Amino acid sequence: MKADMLKRALLPNRAIDSPTAMVLVAIWAAVGLLVWVTSPFETLPGPVEVWTAFGDQWWRGGMGPELFTTLKLIGTSLALTITISLLLSYATVIAALRPVVAAVSKLRFLGLTGLVPLFILTFGGGTELKVALLTFGMTVFFVTAMAQIVIEIPQSEFDHMRVLGASELRILWEVVIRGTLDKALDVLRQNLAIGWAMITMVEGISRAEGGLGAMLLNQNKYFKLPEVYAILGVILVVGLALDYAMGAVSRVLCPHAHLERVRR
Amino acid sequence: MSEEILLDVQNVSQTLGTNNVLKNLSFQVVNRVRPGVETGQIIGLLGPSGVGKTRLLRIIAGLDAPDTGRVVGPGGQPLPAGSVGVVFQNYPLLRHHTVQANLEVAGRANGASRAEARERATTLLKRFRLDGRASYYPAQLSGGQRQRVAIAQQLVKQKTFMLLDEPFSGLDPAALEDVSMLLREVAHMDDLNTLVIVTHDVRAALLCADTLLLLGRDQGPDGAVVPGARIVETVDLVRLGLAWRPPTELTRDPAFLDLEARLEARFRGL
Repeated sequence: MKADMLKRALLPNRAIDSPTAMVLVAIWAAVGLLVWVTSPFETLPGPVEVWTAFGDQWWRGGMGPELFTTLKLIGTSLALTITISLLLSYATVIAALRPVVAAVSKLRFLGLTGLVPLFILTFGGGTELKVALLTFGMTVFFVTAMAQIVIEIPQSEFDHMRVLGASELRILWEVVIRGTLDKALDVLRQNLAIGWAMITMVEGISRAEGGLGAMLLNQNKYFKLPEVYAILGVILVVGLALDYAMGAVSRVLCPHAHLERVRR
Repeated sequence: MSEEILLDVQNVSQTLGTNNVLKNLSFQVVNRVRPGVETGQIIGLLGPSGVGKTRLLRIIAGLDAPDTGRVVGPGGQPLPAGSVGVVFQNYPLLRHHTVQANLEVAGRANGASRAEARERATTLLKRFRLDGRASYYPAQLSGGQRQRVAIAQQLVKQKTFMLLDEPFSGLDPAALEDVSMLLREVAHMDDLNTLVIVTHDVRAALLCADTLLLLGRDQGPDGAVVPGARIVETVDLVRLGLAWRPPTELTRDPAFLDLEARLEARFRGL
């Protein structure tokens, strides 16, 4: 049975069961570990070196509090991003506000680096600056994706609610807000990843308050490669954990969306 | 005594761009009365694909306004969106709500309290043999179940008028009889209940309707189609003795088969 499943895994457009998927993940993880252990590149420290560096950083380098600082930063920025982005996206149902939403969406082409001086002048430094930069970075992409989702709601969904006798406000709630919640959570999940990937850059702008990004740049400066890889590993694992948590929230809040997804 | 008019479509025309879709289209639906029997009305609106059936449905439903003419209900009252139930072809439901909640939303949208909406929903789900599916999401329903939920959702509103867009599409003969029986049951729940079934399936319409309206376009002297659909024929199945009878009996009646053959021949020329 297992052999049959593994055979299916090698053919195109076939569904596989969860145990087989786990076996495949384990196989690829083992391959990755083998490549790492046998790597001839001196710029890639071995697993034991990285693990030891991680222990040092965690127990003596203050990695725990730095991680907390980073999580607080991403949490605050994410809360602001969700509020601003959803308000702007849902505002696309009002024709008069569409140009504003479109303009915010276009700001994604500006890039953060060029905006840093402007943000420093506006927000000063410290936490406010970092929150503003991250919020801006995530909002412009969130609004772009979410506004598109709202625009693409089929006319038939509005018609359906109208023939049910629903008021326009109820239609906004049921069709635009509740009806797209699963997609909003998907977009949020992607934007969380974008924000998490930006964190090292943003924390590097104002290192005084610490955070994983500041820690990484400090280790980079002294070319301590095992420490750098240990911090990168933590960033990766925490990022994946946040992504998994977002997926779990989506499964709880929108069970219907998971019934509609067919894995092939 | 004149019959009570339940729906009056008066000289409705609609143009899309330069395309004249409906032209001075008029018909009436009157209250059918059978002494001692609760009898609603079922009107089959028959027409070939692309003739403008769905356009007409949207106008009657209050979703679109005609360019000229008007549609009024009993007492000459206009019919705004929401006053007429509509079951669209793809049976739309709110995908984020369970079956029970889908019905409750419809009740609440029409002024029912939370408790009233729940009670109405529960009663209808039992009546439609869907009580075992109350906690299911639309994605978990079969096509037939979805259709019944979509009809029940419109009935929660407690409005007497319902339009159904191609309810027989893709059904096998056994399912077609089931659906036609279901529609009859819905129509005859109340004396004023009126169902307008928009379809291109002649047999299905004949099996459940009491009146057939044939929507079509005229042909010019050169045989070319003249733009703008209108009602080209009205068939009173009650007068012909072909209404309110079981499908198994109707399909063995030579008069039914003759009418079916004639309508299909006419249909091909529209």
